[in-house]
Parts: sequence; C-alpha cells; structure tokens
Amino acid sequence: MHAGIIQNGRLNAFIFLLVFSVAILWFIRRVTSGEKLYVRPLPGLNAIDEAVGRATEMGRVVLFIPGTGDLDNIQTIAGLSILGRVAHLTARYQTPLRVPVLYPMPMAAAQETVRQAYLDEGQSDRVHPETVQYIAGDSFSYSARIGGMMVREKPAAAIYMGQFAAESLLMAEMGQVAGAIQIAGTAEPEQMPFFIAACDYTLLGEELYAADAYLSGRPSLLGSLRGQDIVKLLIVIVVIAGALSVSLGIGHDFWENILSAK
Amino acid sequence: MSKPRTTIWDRLQHIDRRVLYTLIFVSVIVPVFLPLSLPTAVSPESQAFFDAVDALPAGGNVMFAFDFWPSTTAETEPLAVATLRHCFQKDLHVIGLSNVGMGGPSIADRILHDIGDEYGKRYGEDYINLGYKAGYQAVLLGMATGIGNIFPTDHNGTRLDALPLARRVTSYDSIQFVVVITDNIMVDYWISLVNAQSGVPMAAGVTAVVAPKALSYVQSGQYKGLLGGMKGAAEYEHLLNSPDKASRGMDSQSLIHLLIIAFVAMGNLGYVVTRRRDAGPPRDRG
Amino acid sequence: MIVGFFLRGKQVEAVYNEGLLWQSIITGFSLVMGVVSIVRVHWRKLTARNDGAWYSAVLLLCFVVMAGFGVLQGTGRGTRYDAIFNSIQAPMMSTMFSMLAFFIASAAYRAFRARTVPSLILLVTAVIVMLGRIPMGQFISDDLPTWVNWIMTVPNVAVQRGILIGAALGGASMSLRIFVGIERTYLGQ
Repeated sequence: MHAGIIQNGRLNAFIFLLVFSVAILWFIRRVTSGEKLYVRPLPGLNAIDEAVGRATEMGRVVLFIPGTGDLDNIQTIAGLSILGRVAHLTARYQTPLRVPVLYPMPMAAAQETVRQAYLDEGQSDRVHPETVQYIAGDSFSYSARIGGMMVREKPAAAIYMGQFAAESLLMAEMGQVAGAIQIAGTAEPEQMPFFIAACDYTLLGEELYAADAYLSGRPSLLGSLRGQDIVKLLIVIVVIAGALSVSLGIGHDFWENILSAK
Repeated sequence: MSKPRTTIWDRLQHIDRRVLYTLIFVSVIVPVFLPLSLPTAVSPESQAFFDAVDALPAGGNVMFAFDFWPSTTAETEPLAVATLRHCFQKDLHVIGLSNVGMGGPSIADRILHDIGDEYGKRYGEDYINLGYKAGYQAVLLGMATGIGNIFPTDHNGTRLDALPLARRVTSYDSIQFVVVITDNIMVDYWISLVNAQSGVPMAAGVTAVVAPKALSYVQSGQYKGLLGGMKGAAEYEHLLNSPDKASRGMDSQSLIHLLIIAFVAMGNLGYVVTRRRDAGPPRDRG
Repeated sequence: MIVGFFLRGKQVEAVYNEGLLWQSIITGFSLVMGVVSIVRVHWRKLTARNDGAWYSAVLLLCFVVMAGFGVLQGTGRGTRYDAIFNSIQAPMMSTMFSMLAFFIASAAYRAFRARTVPSLILLVTAVIVMLGRIPMGQFISDDLPTWVNWIMTVPNVAVQRGILIGAALGGASMSLRIFVGIERTYLGQ
C-alpha cells in the first residue's frame, strides 16, 4: 500500500484496528474449532434466572428496560441481546414480561426479539400486545412512566440493561421502593455508582457486552471475549512499559509518536 | 416468644425517607431566603479553563456548544452563562450550536441573546446561532470540511452567507477555541471527533455527574480545562467577579451535602452499635 | 466511513463527506418515524378506549397544538411554541431531574454502610469529597480541597480510564461481531 494514501498520523490507529480485528477473529476461529474456554462467573447474569423465578413464584411482572439509547447505540444492542435470553425464560415459565422502550427502532427490534423467543419456546400465542410498550418523549418522561409502572404493577424483578443517563437513579430508587429484585448493566461510568447503590446486582462496563456470550455459551461469542482480553493485556503491557520508561526520563518522544493519533 | 425491642440504634438505620426528603427540601429553600454567602475556592481545572479563554486574542472565534437538555439547566445554564460572559468580555466572536434537538437551540438562542444584549453585541456580526441538525456524528465530522455543508442556514432560517461572521468562519480552521457545555456523552464525541481529528483546542463545562469521567480528558490535555456542575459555575463566576445564580445555589448545595453526611453518619452509628450488640459477649473457649 | 477515516484522496473524501450528509438526512427521517409511531400507538389506544385512553387523548392534543404552532409560527424566540416549551416542558423536565436530589440522598443513606473494609474506604472517600466540594469544607481544613483534588485526579481518573478502555474494547468487539454477522440476537435470531 502506497504510504501517501494513508492519512497522516493515523497509521498507528490502523495497525491497532488490524491487531484488534485479527485477535478477535482468530480466537473466534479457535473456539469454534473446539478449544475450551473458562469464563469467570458474573453474579449479575446468574441472578437473572433467580429474578425471573422469583417473579414466577410471586405471580408478578418482570420489567426489562433496554436503556434510553437508540438502536445506533451499541449498549442498546447489548441490552436487546440480553432481552432475548430473558424472554426465553419468561416464555418458558409463563411469567408476564414488560419491555418499555423510548425509541421506535428499539421497539421494533424488541418486538421481534420477544416474538422469536416465545416462538422458540412454543408459546407464540402468549405474546401480549402490551409486552413491548413504546413510550416516546425524553428520558425523564420515560422514567416517570416507569415509576408509575413500578408503583401500580409492583414488578418482582426489574432488569436494566443498556445506556442510561441521569434517569437511572430515578428508576432504580422507585424499583427499590416497589421491592423488586434489581439487576443492572451499563457501560456509562457516571451511572454505575447509582446502579451499584440502588440495585442488587450490577454489570460494569464490558460485562454488559460480554453478557450475551456468557448467557448463550456460543463458541463464536466466547472466542471474541478471549480476543478482547488479549488485546486488553497488550494495552496493559504498553501502559506499564510507557509509564515506567517516561518516569525514568527515557523514550517520551517515542511513546508520544506511536500513541497519539490525529 | 416476645418481639425484640426496637432501640434507637435500630431506628437510626431505618429513618423514614419522608423525614429525609423533608429536610432536603428545607435545606434547599432556606438559603433562598437567608443567603449564607460562603466563600468559593477555585479548583485547578476551573482556573485552567478560565486561563485558556483569557489567553484568546480579542476578535478570535469561539465555537460554543449548548449540548445540554432542558432538564439539567439548573447546573448547565450557569456554566453557559458564565463562560459566555467571559467570551463577550474578551470581545470574542461566538458561533453557537446545539446537538440536542429538544430544547437545545431554543436555550442557546435565549442565552446568546440575553448575554449578547448585556454586552451590546450584535447578532450576525459578533455572534450567531447555527441551531440544531440531526446526527451529531455527521455534524461534528462534517464541520471540519465546511460549516456551511451542515448548516446552510442559521437557527432562524437566514442563509449563512448573509451573516458577516459566518462568511469569515467556514470550518474548524477558522475556530480558535471550542467551549462545550454538556450533560451527556457529547463530552466524549467532541474529543474523539473534533479535537482528535481537527486539533481544535477545547474546554468543557459539564454536570457534576459527568465531571469525574471528563477529568481524564483534562489530564491528557485534550480538554484545556473543566468546570464541574454548579460548583464549577460558581468558581467561574468568582473568577469573573460577577456572582450569579451558581454562587447563590452553592448555599443550598452546601447544606444538602452536610445533611447527607449527617444521615450517613447516623445510619453507620446505628449499624456499628447494633452489630456489636448482636454479636454478643465473647464466648468462653475453655 | 472507516476507509474514509484512514485513507486520503479526493474520491475517498468525496464519498466520506457524502456519507456524512446522508447520515444526517437518515437521522432526520428517523425522527419522522418516531412521530408517526407515537401518533399511531396513541390513536390506536384512544379508539380502542383502553384504560388510560384519555392520557393518549391529552398527548395527541398536545402534539397537535405544539406541532401546529411550530409549523405555522416557527420555533424561534418570541413564538408561542417557544413560550409553551419554556414555561411548561422545560420546567417539567427540570422538576423530574430535581427529584434526583432526594433519591441520591436516600440511596446514599441506604448504601453507604461500613459493612466491609472496601465499603468503609468508599464511605470515608465519599465524605471527604462531599465536604471538599462545598465552601464549608475549608472551615474544617485548608488542605481539604487539596485532598479532594488528589482523590479526583489520581485514583478516580485511573479507574475511569480503566472502565473507559474496557467498555470501548467491549463495544468495538460487539461492533465487529455485528459487522461480520456473528451477533444477530438483537434481530431476534
């Protein structure tokens, strides 16, 4: 490739993207070929079964909130992936499920996800029209509506998975008052403390993205987790090496050149 | 079997939330009528923000992003007002825009006109409001090649080529500084899509919840300074010698912080005492 | 878009810029889709006379009024649209946000219990930061703002960076899985 056609200062980003993609795809290939992987348990995901079971015993609703982001947000997609697993459980145990959504495209995706899950469990006639509810407006009107649902329907389980902003604590506190078991997962650093304070289990950051791999056990998804971890390990090595060498007063320009991108 | 007696130490751990909420309400209201006028200490990040704007030459162009929702105006509007006052004091030209569709352009319009009138600034020559366009990623990336490509008209529908300021400021190359006032993920996107790719220096005013995350950008030099929440706005007002809403609001915030600390302390006191009581006397191992 | 980020050349830049314009246009149309969806959903509720149908009637009425004022008079300063937004919508949104003050207090009171050593460290740190962020903290100690600044700029930033890097890698991995078609659960498959 002619060096002149690559944007100045972005070759390092391109190399990183290449290494990252190769690592992910390489480990996906290895795990789908049969290599066994250990994945550490995530209490929040193990608790989903417990939460749905609790709702079934109490005869109350499972409330699943796939975040307040639109479908172009990767956290919303992660949330909808987890919704698929939850919908399988609620279909199997015939537990009522409510999925309020804020935007029309996640609504369409959530409807399809729930419909497919119920179909897989042979319960397609049990999909209630009100299962996925479209609540438009802004995130605060959405959380006001969720609060109303918490007070009226008193869900036994509230599962928050996706992108959240300031409304996260509003919903989680109202869930606390309603007595629901609460499981949350978000990659927004500023909302994690609120979920940790108000919820029983919390998935932090990339644990949200790993959830689908963890719940499904699909080799292709588990392989990508491994690839991600290898890249993270490389980053840790670079950070330690860079911090040590710059602290010793050597190689500052070298690290500046290879790590900054325009 | 008789019910165990509930002592004060048990009750301290389960104070009715309505008591807490009532005291919070009182803490907010009382300073409105009885101002405490507490002193303000300026943090290094706020000072850095102030110094960065202060160093800009008169006549420089500043892009001002009103990227906050109406819900957070209690924190973000004082940030916007204080920093905009500084920009107009320094005779900087301001190009306002918003990436928040609901209410953003309207808030931007109101603040720009109100503060502009205070300093005798003229719309079209000293400041403009580009308004809002959907798709913030496309907006931020697209302005690098031409602001007119993304915003052919301003918020009022006036063609940009009819505005003297807009004729001079055509892309990020003509912008000396960006001020980002936001309460959401736009604090990340301005860095990754504008600062990292076009190199425009910038500083941010954010809500207190977002500030801990945004501090990492300040340390790496991507944001020249940071104002966090109402306290950041109060610090900026102090640096400008023009105390306003944020400085008055710090009285309420101070009382609420103390109230929360008191309740947390009471809850922990009850917890420690009841834990010792429930553990019982040491057992004889002999 | 990825190619446009890494490569240069007139053709590449032209396609990249065109892509950005189309992204803006498509996002605009998705807002239209949102409007159509909300009207459909609530019209259906209203005509079916379900529980709470009158809330749907109120919503549709407000929608017609605001849209009507916006289209007929514009949304600029001094218009009725702007007046209604600033006097009704904005205060309502601020009111909801202000509830956080109460909920943060009750969540902190419930969650900040020194049950373990890490929770004790969290509690002490939170108290120091809360005191240091208010003017009264200076009356306790002149060094308090310095301690707070150290907490915010050293351990806090270290942890935030770790979370940001981890979340970014997770998001990038998920994006790659979607690109190559491995991740399809959000489509119901």
